[in-house]
Amino acid sequence: MEILDRSALDSAKKGSADLFILALLDEGDLHGYDLSRHIDTRSRGSITFTLASLYATLYRLEERGLIRGRWVERAGQRRRRYYRITESGRRMLASHREDWARFIRALVEVAGVKPAWSRT
Amino acid sequence: MNPPPDFRGEVRRRGSSTGTDLPDAMVEELAQHLEDLYEAALAAGAPPGAAAQQARRALDGSSVTPLVPHAARIAPPQSLAAMTALRAALRQFRHHPAFALIVVIVLGLSVGAAATVFSIVDTVVLRPLPYRAPDRLVTIWDTNAEKGLSHDPISPVTFMDQRGLPVFSDAAAWWRPGVNLTDPGLDPLRVQTIETSGNLFDVLGVGPQLGAGFPSGGPLFVQKELITVISDRLWRTRYGADPSIIGRQLLFNGTPYTVVGVMPPKFHYPDDIDVWQRLQWDMTQHSRAAHFMEAVARLADGATIQQAQAAIESLGSRLQVDESRTNAGWNSRVIALLEDALGYYRPALMVLFGAVGLLLVIGIFNVASLLLTRALSRDREMAVRMAMGASPRQIVTQLFLESLALSVAGAMAGIVASLAVLPLVVALTPVEVPRLADAAVSWRAVAAAGGVVAATTLLFGLIPALLLLRTQLGTQLRSGERGSSRSARRIYSALVAGEVALACALLVASALLIRTVGGMMSTPIGVAADDTLVTTVQLTQLRGGGADVASLLKRWQQVADQHAQILDRLRNQPGVASAGAANFLPLDAGWRNPFTIDGEAMPARREDLPQAQMHTISEGYLETMGARLVHGRAFSSFDTTDATGVVIVNEAFASRFLGGRLDGRALRVWATSIGPLGVNLKANPADVHSGVVFEIVGVVGDIANVGLGQPVEPAIYFPARQFPFSEQFIVVKASDAGTGLAAIRAALRDVAPNVPMANVDSWGRRFERRSAVARMLMSVLLAFGGLAGLLAAIGVYGLFSWSVALRRRELAIRLTLGASPGGVGGLVVRQGALLVTIGLIAGWVIVRLAASALTRVLFGVTASDLTATFVASAVLLLATLAACLPAAARAMRVDPVEGLRAE
Repeated sequence: MEILDRSALDSAKKGSADLFILALLDEGDLHGYDLSRHIDTRSRGSITFTLASLYATLYRLEERGLIRGRWVERAGQRRRRYYRITESGRRMLASHREDWARFIRALVEVAGVKPAWSRT
Repeated sequence: MNPPPDFRGEVRRRGSSTGTDLPDAMVEELAQHLEDLYEAALAAGAPPGAAAQQARRALDGSSVTPLVPHAARIAPPQSLAAMTALRAALRQFRHHPAFALIVVIVLGLSVGAAATVFSIVDTVVLRPLPYRAPDRLVTIWDTNAEKGLSHDPISPVTFMDQRGLPVFSDAAAWWRPGVNLTDPGLDPLRVQTIETSGNLFDVLGVGPQLGAGFPSGGPLFVQKELITVISDRLWRTRYGADPSIIGRQLLFNGTPYTVVGVMPPKFHYPDDIDVWQRLQWDMTQHSRAAHFMEAVARLADGATIQQAQAAIESLGSRLQVDESRTNAGWNSRVIALLEDALGYYRPALMVLFGAVGLLLVIGIFNVASLLLTRALSRDREMAVRMAMGASPRQIVTQLFLESLALSVAGAMAGIVASLAVLPLVVALTPVEVPRLADAAVSWRAVAAAGGVVAATTLLFGLIPALLLLRTQLGTQLRSGERGSSRSARRIYSALVAGEVALACALLVASALLIRTVGGMMSTPIGVAADDTLVTTVQLTQLRGGGADVASLLKRWQQVADQHAQILDRLRNQPGVASAGAANFLPLDAGWRNPFTIDGEAMPARREDLPQAQMHTISEGYLETMGARLVHGRAFSSFDTTDATGVVIVNEAFASRFLGGRLDGRALRVWATSIGPLGVNLKANPADVHSGVVFEIVGVVGDIANVGLGQPVEPAIYFPARQFPFSEQFIVVKASDAGTGLAAIRAALRDVAPNVPMANVDSWGRRFERRSAVARMLMSVLLAFGGLAGLLAAIGVYGLFSWSVALRRRELAIRLTLGASPGGVGGLVVRQGALLVTIGLIAGWVIVRLAASALTRVLFGVTASDLTATFVASAVLLLATLAACLPAAARAMRVDPVEGLRAE
């Protein structure tokens, strides 16, 4: 049972990681470091990716065609790999958002979990 | 500001520590991330050391393992992915330098040899001749099956008939007079000259670069006006490229010729000619029996070389009947000009080309088997990598790139070696190969090397990779069992058997050439004169007197006297032991003319008269050349025009025509004048029909007078004082070469200051040049054969070492079950013998298939010669069996306990 629970949590986490990244990229193209910084600041440090898991996620999303990475060279800057969300990425983001909204509603209504923003 | 730490290196090392080569693009992206962290820390006020620590923590805090499955799939710039794989490949070689070095050396040797030989073949054989439509040009030669002649000069009269055949649009003919060029204030020079029909340049389709050349139109073959065309080389070296040379008169043998043209650079047709004089006598008025001209013809539009051959043969057959006195037994043949110009070189180069091709294939097989075993010995590594998520494509790509790197390196080494070696080959070749001087490493050779690289890459890279994949997909890491070993061993055995087969073919071919050259060198030629110096002396036509017979004879008497004086002066020089002269050297055929033994009945028809070679020699010639006098006497200075006409005959003549009765015999000849070359002073010009009688005063042991290895023809030797020739070979036996040379120079200066000194060489050197091509071919093939044998032995060694290592467990079990160590070793040797035997048999088949090409470079031995086949095979068998002995010994030392223990 424990194993089952943990794996369920893992997949939930994995799903949330995808959601974070897709959501951020929906706002604009970002490279890996910026992504990790945004996630860090927006979650106020409560969510962090290790280096490998961040890029593994990015690569996985890319392989599934949800985002596309591109090497961009800008004058006076290092060459960086920027990621952009694709159309299927947007669709996936929308459906993720819906799922999570349902899930959070359930958490609030069933488990009494209070969303963080409701405190303010 | 401190430079940021080497994050790329750290990321890469982190990858390697888990057994993965992270692709460059991934390394780059991760390192960028770390640099960003580092800079952020710096910006936040951390000292560089602490900032680096902070960045590193991000790396330390995570394993790169989740990234591995994506390693190949992220979309880096294509070049980066290839670079990563290539870098990984090169890293492999850094860890195993000996392996990489061996592969590059083997490939470099084979590609280098192939590129060199191919460049030479390309320049010498394949490139068209620089004439108009050169493939429409043929040469015409006389043949005489009875005399074993297949490439003899033709008669001027018969040529005129041949020229009229409709299969030819035109034909030109020439002969080669010995010509001295004299200019006031310059040293006299012997120039390579032909006197040719005026249409030669039209037939070839080449015009002079300067001047009008021979005028076209008018009678082509009888023109009294003395005109000449000279080569660019002569024009530049002797006349400083002076354009006013046109119209100037040059003195050839004292006779003035007007220059009407200078040929373009490098034009020296037919071989090394500097002067082309226009023919000034009527070819139809000569003799059909005199074979001294060469000819080139242009095929008529639509005519094939076969049709030309048929037409010329049917003309020949008709002349054999109509002109049986002179043409009985003779016919003619046509040969494509290029094929004729190359002669023996063409088949020799083609054989060499075949040999180097075999060597190349052996090299490739060798490297392929090396790569095969190496790839298979890495199956654990590959299994780990696949378990880590490497895709099959990635693994194949890496193996492919590894072999690509090796073959590119090998091919480059080969091309570089070829670039370095080819000029040396050209410079050091002891024989004059036509057009060899133009040889340069050609783009075609480089392209061929590229093709080899492509082919080898496929072979090297893909077969082991595919074998591996099959294993990996089948067995994964389950056990140490090597499912690939069986098919690998089969492929490996086939490669090694192939190597043995090709090496066998090469060794048999070189053994055949050794027998050929050995036979050539040991053919008795009837002289012992290795150190005797040889040169030619062409006396300038002596002038004075009219065109009547008496003045002609007087002039020829002067020629005879002057030659005699030169020899006398020569004999009186210090250090000279003996000296003599002849109009033909050994191995060259003399003029073939009819004769009869005096006192024997004349045949009813003149054409039934026997023929023999006729040579002119001076007193002292036989002695100087170390010839053996078997009966009677040699010539002396008393055999002059005033004395009785005398001749010496060779043993072949004596046994065929004299039947053992030698004393008091005489013979009758009709040969009175050999064109402008020589004149029989004993002949009575008033009565040419009854002939001249010469007493036979001696018999000389046979001196070779046809090619090496052919039976000596009957020959008659005339004394030079009675039958002089304007051009003679002078032979000198002196205490040493320098003394001899000085003596020749002094004698010529004293007696004939206008006569240039020609090349002086020893008879031994001249004789060696006769067999130089075959000997050179033999040495090269022997080197190739030895190399091939070595590679084959290495292949056998590698195969059995590997297979014994793989089968240790099986062998151990056999030993446990009671097999004796000797039996186990014997098993290995038996398998080796079987493999090698299969290879040898395949090698014989290859030789059999190549027999027609080989036959053209062999003399006195056939391509199926048993001795050569046996010896070459035995050598190879011993070498390869010796190569599997170490493996057999290792098999015998296997510990039986291993069978119970292993894995």
